[in-house]
Amino acid sequence: MTRVVHYLNQFFTGVGGEDAASTSPARTDGAVGPGRKLQALLGDDFEVVATVSCGDDYAAGEPKAVDEILALVKDAKPDVVVIGPAFSSGRYGLACGRLAAAATQAGLAAVAAMHPDNPGLDEAAGAPVVRSGEAAREMGPSLETLAAAVRKLVAGEDLTDAEGRLGKPARRNRVADENAARRAVALVLARLGGDREATEVPLPNFDQVTPAAPVEDLSQVTVALVSEGALVPAANPDKLESARATRWAHYSVEGRDSLPSGEFISVHGGFSTVAANEDPQRIVPLDVARELETEGAIGRLHGEYLVTAGNGTSVGNAKRFGTEWVADLRKSGVRAAILTAT
Amino acid sequence: MAENNNAGEGLRRLVHDVDAVALGDRTSYESGTLTVSADEAAAHFTEEALGQVRLSWASPGESVRIVKILDAVEPRTKGPGGAGIFPGLLGPARPQGRGETHVLRGAAVVAAGFLPRAQEAVVDMTPPMADLSPLANTHNLVVEFDPPPGVDWAVVSAGLRQGMLALAAHLAGTTLDAPPDHEETLPPLRRSGRSGGGQDGLPRVGAITNLQTQGTFKETFVYGRSFTGALPTLLGPGELDDGAVVSGQFGHPSLKNPTYLYQNHPVVAALLERHGKDLDFAGVVISPEPVDQSGKELVCAHAARLCADAGFDAAVLTKEGGGNADADVALKMDRLEELGIAAVGLFAEMAGPDGTGPSIVVPPNRATAMVSTGNYDEKVELAEVERALGGARVALVDEPATARMELPTAAFYGALSPLGWGRLTCGETVMRTAPS
Repeated sequence: MTRVVHYLNQFFTGVGGEDAASTSPARTDGAVGPGRKLQALLGDDFEVVATVSCGDDYAAGEPKAVDEILALVKDAKPDVVVIGPAFSSGRYGLACGRLAAAATQAGLAAVAAMHPDNPGLDEAAGAPVVRSGEAAREMGPSLETLAAAVRKLVAGEDLTDAEGRLGKPARRNRVADENAARRAVALVLARLGGDREATEVPLPNFDQVTPAAPVEDLSQVTVALVSEGALVPAANPDKLESARATRWAHYSVEGRDSLPSGEFISVHGGFSTVAANEDPQRIVPLDVARELETEGAIGRLHGEYLVTAGNGTSVGNAKRFGTEWVADLRKSGVRAAILTAT
Repeated sequence: MAENNNAGEGLRRLVHDVDAVALGDRTSYESGTLTVSADEAAAHFTEEALGQVRLSWASPGESVRIVKILDAVEPRTKGPGGAGIFPGLLGPARPQGRGETHVLRGAAVVAAGFLPRAQEAVVDMTPPMADLSPLANTHNLVVEFDPPPGVDWAVVSAGLRQGMLALAAHLAGTTLDAPPDHEETLPPLRRSGRSGGGQDGLPRVGAITNLQTQGTFKETFVYGRSFTGALPTLLGPGELDDGAVVSGQFGHPSLKNPTYLYQNHPVVAALLERHGKDLDFAGVVISPEPVDQSGKELVCAHAARLCADAGFDAAVLTKEGGGNADADVALKMDRLEELGIAAVGLFAEMAGPDGTGPSIVVPPNRATAMVSTGNYDEKVELAEVERALGGARVALVDEPATARMELPTAAFYGALSPLGWGRLTCGETVMRTAPS
C-alpha cells in the first residue's frame, strides 16, 4: 500500500473562501473534497492517508508557511506527496510550487499540478509539476493527469511531456551512440535536406523588446535611477532577497546628494559586494545624477530609486518587476530611467 | 575550366598501432610495443627553465590520475628528423599536408604541471573515464618538469611545447622502417568558387574551427605563429594532420582542444567519412576568437564570406573555451545562414549542477541547429587511485591528487570536447530529488 498525503487550499477542503484565506495549516485524516476522486483514480494500491490544507494568503504570504505545511505532511509518513491541482490560482499555485520544491528537497517523492501560466511553476525549482486545466471546472481531467503522474513517479519512472510534465526539465549528461562530430555532420546534412527544426539544444525563448524612442530633450524631463544591484538601506528593511528575487523595493533620495558607505549596502548574491559597499554609488550613481541635475543636463532627478536583485531571477518575476516599474514611474511623471546592472 | 585548380597530392597516413609500452635503455618500436629511453626522451627538452624533466607512462586501466594536464601530442613524423612535421615550430614554416606521415596511433606525449592561467585538468586512466577524455584511451608518456624559482613562465611554456613536438617526432621516427598496420588516404583539398559546386552534385560541406586567442598561455599557434589578431584562413585536412595547428592554451580543461585533437580533428574525420558519398569536403576555415565584440563581428563576417567564396553549402562550427567563445560560434552561424550556408554549431551546455539553468550563454539568433557536447557543471565522483602524475594535489578541491574526490565535468581534460571527440550529450529528465 502506497501512502499518499494530499495538499489542498482552504477552498477545496471546504474551510471557506476569501474570508478564510488567512487560515493557518492544518491536517485531517483521509481524503477530502477532490482527494476522494483522486483516491478513486489511484485505486486500491494507494491510500490517501491525510489531507493538509492552508489558507491562500497564509500559504503565499507567510515565510514560514511552507515549513509548517511540510512538517504536517511528513508527520503523516507519506510515500508520495500529491499537491493541488492549483489551476491558474496564483497564491494557491505559489504554495503548491513551494511545497513541491521543499518536499523534493527533503527527499520525498512529490508531484504538483497547475496550469502552465501559474506563477507557482517557477517556485517548483525543477521539482515535478504536471499540467492542470485553467479552472476547477476541469477538475476531472486534471486529477486524471495527476493520478497517472503519481503512478509513474512511484514506479520510479521519469515524467515526460506525455505525462503532462511542466517546467524546465533537468538536462543531465548521458553517453550518445556516436560522437558529437558525427552527430553534427548528420545534423548539417539534415539541415541541407530541408529540416530547419532539428537540434540537440532547444533555443531559449527570449523576448525581443523594441527600445522606446530617444528622449528629445533630457533637460526638460524627470529621470529615475533604477537598478538590479540590490542596493538597500543597511538594515535591508524590506528583506530584499540576494538571489531569485520575488520582489522589488524603492528608497527615497529626496534631499540627498550621496549614498554613504555604511548607510547603504548591496545584498546581491551574484558578485563580491566589497567594492559596491565601499562606494554604493557605483551601483546607484546618485552623485553623478545630482551633478547632471545641477548642470541642467537633466530636468529633475526622480525622488526615489527602484531596486531589486537580478541574480537567478525567474523570467516571470523579472517581467512582472518591469511592468510594475513602468507603471510606478509613469504615474510619477518620469520620462526616462537609467538602469544600472551588475 | 580547371575544376580541380588546387588538386595536388593528398596525404597518406602510415599508421602504426601502439598496443603496449615500456621504459627501457633504448627507444624502439617493435611488434606494437613502444619502448622509450627516459634519458633519450628527456634530452629533447633543451630549455633550461624547465629544470629537471621526468618521464613516465600512464596507460589505460592503470590506477593512475594525471593532474594539471597542459597539452597532448600524437607522435608523428614525415621522415628522419621530422622532415617538416609541425611546420613553423619543428619544421620550416611551409605549407604541409602532402606525401606520407607516420603515425604512432594509441600513444600520446602529455605535459602535466603548473603554468600560470592554466586551469586544473584531470584524467583518470581507469575505465569509467573512457567516455570523458581522449587521454583515458591512449598510452600517455607523461612529461613532468621542475622549473627553478623566479623563472619566466612564458619561456617554460615555449620550451615545453618545443620539447613535446621534438619528442613526438622522435618517437614516431622509430617506425620509419616498419611496415604500417594500416594506411589511410586523405583527399587533397578541392577548391570550388561556387556553392552547389560539389562533385557529383553533392553539397560542399566544411568545418569552421575557432581557435582560442587570449594571449600567453591561452593562445593557439598556426605554422608556429600565434593566431591572435589574425583573420580566418582556409586549410586542407592534411595540414592539420601534419601539425600546422598547435595548442598553447591551458584554460577550460573540458573545453580545451589539445594538439592531439587538431592532429585528429573529429569533425574533419566525420566529414571525410562521408566525403564522396553524402557530401564533398570543402575544407577547414580556422578563425581566431577575439575578446572584444567588434573583433568578433569582424572575424565572423570575414569567415562567413570566406566560406561563401570557397563554395561552402554548409559548415560545422567548433570553438575552444567557455561562454565567451559561444558568441563566436553563434555569430558565425548567423552570418552563414544569412548567406544561405547551413550551419551547425557544437556547444557545451552550462545548465548548472542540477541541469535546469539556461544552457547556452549566447545562442544564435537565426541559426538553430546545435549539437550538445554535455553539461559543464554536472558532478562526477572519482575513486581513490594508487598514484598521481603532474602534481601532488588537486587545487580545485584542495585534496591529495590520489584521493577520492568529486569534480565537475568541467575539470576533465576534453570531456566536453568542442571539436566533437566525445559521445557526451544532454538528455532531459525531471529531477526526482533535488541536488545536494
